[in-house]
Amino acid sequence: MISRRLQIFTVLLVLAILAMGGYFVHLKRKAEAIATPQVQQALVAPVNGPAETTLLFLPNDEDGTLHATSVTAPQPADPGERARLALHMLIARGLAKDSPHPYGPGADVHDVFLMDPNSAVVNLNQALVAGLHPGIQSEQLTLFSMVLTLKSQLPQLMRVRFLVEGKSAETLAGHVDISGWMDVIEVQQSTPIAH
Amino acid sequence: MRNLLHAARWLLLLPLLLAAGFAHGAHSVSVISPQTNYQVEILSHEGVEYVGLTDLMEPLGRVESHVEGNRVRFLFNGTESVFEQGNTQCRVRSTSVNLPAGFLLQDGRGYVPLASVSVLLPRMAELTAEMHPVSHRLFVGVASIHYTAELRTAPSRLVLSFTAPVNPSTYMEKSRVRLLFRREPVVGAASSKVTYSDPFVRGVTFNESAAGAELNVQVAQPATVTVADGGRSLTISPSQPAAAPGAQAQNAPASTAATSPGQPAAQGTPAVRAPRGKAFVMLDAAHGGADAGAATTPAEKVLTLALARRVQKELEAKGISVVLARTADVALSFDQRAAATNTARVSLYVAIHLSPEGHGARVYAPMLPPAPAEQDHRAFLPWELAQTPYLDRSGQAATSVAADLNTAGVAAQSSAVALRPLNSVTAPAIAVEFAPLEGGEAELATPAYQQKMASALAGAIAALRGRWGEAQ
Repeated sequence: MISRRLQIFTVLLVLAILAMGGYFVHLKRKAEAIATPQVQQALVAPVNGPAETTLLFLPNDEDGTLHATSVTAPQPADPGERARLALHMLIARGLAKDSPHPYGPGADVHDVFLMDPNSAVVNLNQALVAGLHPGIQSEQLTLFSMVLTLKSQLPQLMRVRFLVEGKSAETLAGHVDISGWMDVIEVQQSTPIAH
Repeated sequence: MRNLLHAARWLLLLPLLLAAGFAHGAHSVSVISPQTNYQVEILSHEGVEYVGLTDLMEPLGRVESHVEGNRVRFLFNGTESVFEQGNTQCRVRSTSVNLPAGFLLQDGRGYVPLASVSVLLPRMAELTAEMHPVSHRLFVGVASIHYTAELRTAPSRLVLSFTAPVNPSTYMEKSRVRLLFRREPVVGAASSKVTYSDPFVRGVTFNESAAGAELNVQVAQPATVTVADGGRSLTISPSQPAAAPGAQAQNAPASTAATSPGQPAAQGTPAVRAPRGKAFVMLDAAHGGADAGAATTPAEKVLTLALARRVQKELEAKGISVVLARTADVALSFDQRAAATNTARVSLYVAIHLSPEGHGARVYAPMLPPAPAEQDHRAFLPWELAQTPYLDRSGQAATSVAADLNTAGVAAQSSAVALRPLNSVTAPAIAVEFAPLEGGEAELATPAYQQKMASALAGAIAALRGRWGEAQ
């Protein structure tokens, strides 16, 4: 025969276990909610340098143009790092809510390699490519915005090549050819800039 | 003496070599598809005709074959099929398919019965396949073309109407006109013959051979073949003496040289040629097959094909000849699209895309470095720069089409972008990406939207043709 005291103790123990389980689920969800925006945003390394103005060319899918915007932020001394930082800031705008040219979660630029003062190679991550809106315009604006943003950082830049996860690709996401070098002057002449 | 023996040996061998050659010709099947034509050897085994799986499928897409003992795992564009030596059943995806004879595995290569090809291809490649056993021709991804022959009087002439555009090789002889359809799946009753009691047209016979389907029209005097309705109608009428060689040669487009009259003037007949010039425009419905394009409803590949067909109809109504890069849901690589365009020798290439993003239309010209001024125009160019000599005209075409779309009420802008396959097309080339006008993505599939865009694009292409004509 189980005593009444033992029965009450067992019931309380079960209730405590259930309450603790519920609390753990609550904590887990809260942690995920905090962690998610960190994953979606392009991480910008802290920079200790003089604040300078960077020109970002922000794509707009609605009117098919690029909008030039000035941003003042501390800039590293290394030109490659400056270029990478500029692209990070550009993509971070696309990850923002209600962006006119949204990027998918995790979109980022792995590296920007400066081959010489005239040539840059941009290594995109797969998440950026996978999250693009489908179509020629979307791909064109993505690439052109990066090329012109880089050009604003590197005035001597003449050509840019894009890689995806370190590998050469035929097209960005099925349309625009990225198998070769992109001529910066051609891009400047072909880009619809919003005035 | 040694020379004599050598010559005699060759004389003995010659018939054998000739016989082998003929046997070789008879033991292959011609595969005709929208993007390519090729021959596949037939292997006879225990009275059954077989074709090699890889030989058959490789020109149509990406192929992988893995032999595992008696089993062959075959992947075509990612679709898996499994065959087993001697087994009359195979598995395509998860469904079982019966073969008329056992699968054959020989020297590490898999062979399927020829009679099973028209059943297997639709399952493995999602392509229609129609075997013409008499001519040993297999049509993949193209539908049969039927014809009717109608004798008309005053003046006496024969009108051949086809269910789809045709472009036969025309051979003019003294008392007959031979129309040879090498690429088109023209079908008729086997060896049918119709006779007429007409002073000009005596009869029509249809037959098929390894060279293709052939219509022979017996005529009483030299004839002229005229093409109408975008290649759907051929009219065979008596040649007009006054309009004989000179006038016709003047009117005929340059490309009619491709028509090879059998015996042109040798028998005193006028050098008549069918005015079947090259098509003006290649319309390329983007995507297809496994590449569905944008995730619209239905998929972009379906919408682009529907729109291309509407544009084709509109253009043909204006008397402008059109070629479609694809007429079915088939996967074409960028290079296949460019090669088909370059082979067709069209005056304009238009790739059609749709996107749910933005509004109106975007017209794109190719983006390439301009050709160096000192470049020899006859010089060979790399495949990816083949467009270079046409960059100016492509730019003009993009600007002109965008302006005319705006006039037609479709807000459009033009720009340049490095786009496949434009850079490999040896003709003025543009891409048009249509987006919703006012509504959202659902608008793209509505007949009203498609018709408006088709009419606007057809009008812009027709206007461009007019401008180029004036300029020339």
